[in-house]
Amino acid sequence: MTGYVPGAIVLWAICILFILVPLSSFLAYGFLPVVDNAIVYEPTFDNFVNIVSNSSYRTTFLRTMLLAFEVSAFNFVLGYATAYFIWRRPPAWRNVLVIALAIPLLMSYIIKIYAMRGVLGTNGLLNSALLALGVADEPVSALLFNLMAVRITLSIVLLPFMVLPICVALERIAPQVLQAAADLGASEIQTFRWVILPLSLPGAIVGAMFTFVLASGDFLAPELVGGIEGFTFGRLVFSQFGLAFNWPLGAALSVLLMVVALVVISIARRLSNPRWQS
Amino acid sequence: MTRNRIIDVPLAAVAVLVYVSLYLPILLVFLLSFFSMRRGKVNWDSFSLSWYAKLFENDALGEALWNSLLVGSLAVAAAACFATSAAILVRSQPGRHSARLLEYVIFLPFLLPPIITGLSLLIYFREAGVGRGIFTITVGHTLFVSAIIYRIVLTRLNALSRNLVEAALDLGATRMQTFRFIILPNLRMPLLTGGLLAFALSFDETMITLFLSGTDATLPVRLYAMMRVGFTPTINALVTLILGFSILLTVAVALAWRRNAGPAGKTSREGRT
Repeated sequence: MTGYVPGAIVLWAICILFILVPLSSFLAYGFLPVVDNAIVYEPTFDNFVNIVSNSSYRTTFLRTMLLAFEVSAFNFVLGYATAYFIWRRPPAWRNVLVIALAIPLLMSYIIKIYAMRGVLGTNGLLNSALLALGVADEPVSALLFNLMAVRITLSIVLLPFMVLPICVALERIAPQVLQAAADLGASEIQTFRWVILPLSLPGAIVGAMFTFVLASGDFLAPELVGGIEGFTFGRLVFSQFGLAFNWPLGAALSVLLMVVALVVISIARRLSNPRWQS
Repeated sequence: MTRNRIIDVPLAAVAVLVYVSLYLPILLVFLLSFFSMRRGKVNWDSFSLSWYAKLFENDALGEALWNSLLVGSLAVAAAACFATSAAILVRSQPGRHSARLLEYVIFLPFLLPPIITGLSLLIYFREAGVGRGIFTITVGHTLFVSAIIYRIVLTRLNALSRNLVEAALDLGATRMQTFRFIILPNLRMPLLTGGLLAFALSFDETMITLFLSGTDATLPVRLYAMMRVGFTPTINALVTLILGFSILLTVAVALAWRRNAGPAGKTSREGRT
């Protein structure tokens, strides 16, 4: 074991220097007040008091949490159906379908958002389709630059994160288990309800939690497709580092975001542990 | 079996919707980089490469591309060293609290929302007096992609028999020799797969980079700046080129993965959970 000690020291030094110290300095920043556009290095609770007492921050926070919840709930349903469909294909098909889901993950996030603009915009694909079908007489401008556009964009961009963990969970179900259910006379619906669903739910929960964390902290999609209405918490944080130039307030705001992320990640870890079912 | 089909119809409908919504927007951008649209229909007679030609006149884009490639290579190299040593350390002392803590810390920059990873480094570098630029972006990307390489390398190490290492040590090999002649040859494919995957992630990373880039913009950051202004065919052309590059990388990752031990794809998907 002794041979590893110097290596361990170096590794921990890197972790502390570049991960733990930045994270704690970011936490500490939240406590610093800003006076006359300059940061004062005397910790107070001012920023946090400010956030809690300011109703527009509160509504933005709640709106963003609701948005993230809606996106993950919607994707949960779509994602489960898709994963279940993939799982029921023959193995060769399954591989192709899974790879087709993974490819968009390696495409630039910002490009996918931009592409959604081409679909939702006034001259976009969706409007053209509506016009062609005679549903609308003139282009609907309400498709882009609002909260709905953010919902749709985030849903689509985050879908692979939902489907892939469910695919993994379904893939892990041993064929013998299904055989046993069939031998014992379970109908297809019973097998799904009592065998497949409980065994794949942990994967689905991980996917949902992951979608929630990513959606709640996102600022690129709301910024590019959300317009004024789609002002989310992530944008609020980001704006403190741009125009508003109030870094400590931005740090304090994102502490909230980090707490949410950590709580959600730890819940997901617990729920995705198969032992929770017993 | 008849019931099977009944369930499959709605499932197939949802699956088709999912795949169409994933690919259609991208296909549209691709088409619009060559053709123009008129009254909601693609005008097939309007094929032109002029938007691509315009790209090459833009020096800022060339510089951004160079920055992206530079940052990607540096970050992958640094992350490979860091993640591999961490994986070897964790593997050598399984179950220890310190090993599990190390693993948790390595995963933090990857699991936390990018906005938090980005701005914690921004604040840290500012307080440390380090100016924003290639170095700060590289540090951000290194931390972000380390988790991926770590996970893939660790999976391979776990599959590797301990006896192999013990045999080498029994035969009098030093730790360095064991690493060089026993462990490293076994890590070639995981490092290649992980490295490619990490490079692809770094090449596309936008949110962390936005906080850490001063005047040295990477390609996605430059793209973000262009997109805020509007929807132009030049952007479509650029986006198409980037997508082409991403798809090449994806194919490379997939090929490397096939040669890697284990069934396709499983390990990395677990890596994100």
